[in-house]
Amino acid sequence: MVDFAMQANPAQSQAADSRARALARFKLSDAVFGWVTRLSALTVLLILSGVILSLFIGAMPTIQAYGLGFLTSQSWNPPLEKFGAAPSIYGTLVTSVIAMLIAVPVGVGVAIFLTELCPPALRRPVGIAIELLAGIPSIIYGMWGFFVLNPFLQGVLGSGLSLFTAGVVLAIMVLPFISSITRDVFETVPPMLKESAYGLGCTRWEVIRSVVIPYTRVGIIGGVMLALGRALGETMAVTFVVGNANRISPNWLDPGTTISATIANQFGEAEPGLYTSSLMTLGLLLFLVTFVVLAGARLMLMRLERRAGA
Amino acid sequence: MSATPAEKVSVKNLRFFYGQNLALKGINLPLYDRKVTAFIGPSGCGKSTLLRVLNRMYDLYPKQRAEGEVLLDGENILGPEQDLNLLRARIGMVFQKPTPFPMSIYENIAFGIRLYENLPRSEMDDRVEAALRGAALWDEVKNKLGASGLSLSGGQQQRLCIARSVAVKPDVILFDEPCSALDPISTAKIEELIDELKAHYTIAIVTHNMQQAARVSDYTAFMYLGELIEFDETDRIFTAPKQRATQDYITGRFG
Repeated sequence: MVDFAMQANPAQSQAADSRARALARFKLSDAVFGWVTRLSALTVLLILSGVILSLFIGAMPTIQAYGLGFLTSQSWNPPLEKFGAAPSIYGTLVTSVIAMLIAVPVGVGVAIFLTELCPPALRRPVGIAIELLAGIPSIIYGMWGFFVLNPFLQGVLGSGLSLFTAGVVLAIMVLPFISSITRDVFETVPPMLKESAYGLGCTRWEVIRSVVIPYTRVGIIGGVMLALGRALGETMAVTFVVGNANRISPNWLDPGTTISATIANQFGEAEPGLYTSSLMTLGLLLFLVTFVVLAGARLMLMRLERRAGA
Repeated sequence: MSATPAEKVSVKNLRFFYGQNLALKGINLPLYDRKVTAFIGPSGCGKSTLLRVLNRMYDLYPKQRAEGEVLLDGENILGPEQDLNLLRARIGMVFQKPTPFPMSIYENIAFGIRLYENLPRSEMDDRVEAALRGAALWDEVKNKLGASGLSLSGGQQQRLCIARSVAVKPDVILFDEPCSALDPISTAKIEELIDELKAHYTIAIVTHNMQQAARVSDYTAFMYLGELIEFDETDRIFTAPKQRATQDYITGRFG
C-alpha cells in the first residue's frame, strides 16, 4: 500500500503541473475574450452617443433661433424661414395611438386564439402567416395603403388620406409584433397553472383573463412597447397615406403629417441653414420621443416586477 | 375497520387512451365516502392518469379519451352532457407543484368562490378566512392577505392551493403527489391536513412515498402498467398483500 502511494505521487504532481499550465493559457484567452466583448459593448454606446451628438449639433441653429417655440409653432414656411414642429409631433402621437388602439386588442386576440383555441392543424400555418406579415417591407404597406385602402376609406368614410388611414396601416404593420410576442409569452404559462384554474371549474375565458394574462403581463407590455416604438418611427408607409398636410386638426379623418413623414418629404429640397437644421431638430425630437416611450416602458416593467416579487 | 362505507365514486371498467396508447386497461375501483384512498405504483403505471379522468382534466387535450364509467354519487361523469365546470367544482385537485395564481393571497381564495357565488365583502372575508384556517395557513398569512401568493414559501403555497380547492366546497379532493416538491416539515403539515380534511371530503392521493401512503390513507390501490393489481384497506396492503407484485413493490424490491 505504502509503495503504491509513493509511486503514485510523482505522476500526480506532474499532472497537476500540466493542469496549471493549461489553466494559465486559458487565463490569457479568457482575458482577451473579455476585452473583445467589452469593446463590442462600448461600440454600441459610442454609436449611440455619436448619433445623439450629431443630431444635437445639427439642431443647434434651430434651437438658438426659435428655442422652445419650435415645439409649439404650427407654421412650416421655408421661404420665410419659419419652422415649427407641433403638427408633426401631434400627427406622430395620434397615428401611433390609433395604431395601438386597433393592434393591441386584435394582436392579443390572435395570440389567445393561437395558443388556447386554435385546432392544432391550423396553429402552424396561422403562426407562419403572422410572421410573414412582419417581414413585408414597409413600402409595400405604403403602396397598398395608397392604392387600395385609400380609395376604400374614401368611399366609406369620405376621407382617404388622413391620420386615421395612417393609423390603420400602422396597426396592420405592428400587429404581427404584438401577436407573435404575446403568443410566445402565453406559451410560457405552465400547463399545471392553467389546469389548476380549470380544476376550480373556470371557463376558458376566466382562465385567460384571470391567470394567463396576469401571469404574462410583463411580457405583453414589452411586446406592446416594441410595437409602439416601431409605430412612432415608421416613415415610408405613413408618408404614403397620411396626406402630408402641415396642420393640427382635431378631426382624425383630416390629413396631417408625422415627424418622420415631414423629414422624408422635405429633406430633398432642404437648403443648408435653418431649413436643414429644423429637419435635424425634428429627428432629434423623434429620437427623444421614442427614447422616452421605451424608458417609460422599462420603468413600468420594473415597477410591475417589484410588485409581483413583493 | 368496521362496515364498508358508502361509495362516493365508482370507477367501472375504465379504459383510457393517449392517442393509440392504452394507458388504463379496465380499472374497477371505489372511492369510499370521507376516506383517503392512496394510489401507489411505479412511474407510468397510470395513477396520475386515473386522477385526471376523475375531474375530466384530460378533456383539455384533443387526443386523449376515456371509455367505461365513472360514477359520482351514482351518476356517470364521463357522459357528453356532463357540465365540466360544475364537475370540477365538485372534484377539486391539488398538483405536484404549488400553483398559486398570479394574484394576492386573498384573491387566490376569493377567485374560486366568486366563480359560483356572489357574496358581499364581509361574507367573502369569512369564507376566505375559513378556507385558510381549513388549510392551517391562516395564522401565517392573516397579516399579509394582500401580498402576492407567490411570495409564500413552497409549503405555504401548497397549503394555499389546498385552501383554494377547499374554498369552493367540493365533494372530492384529488392530490397528485402533493408533497413531491416539499421539504419534510412542510410534508408533515400537509399530511396532517389531509387527515383533518377527510372528516368532510373524500380524498384520493397519488404518491411515490410508501410511508406517506401508509400514514395518510385508509385504502390503498397498487397499480402497475395500467392495471389495478390490488385494492384493499391500507393496513392489509402493507402487512399482508395478496399479490406477489404488491409485496415486491412496497418492500422496495422493484419499482
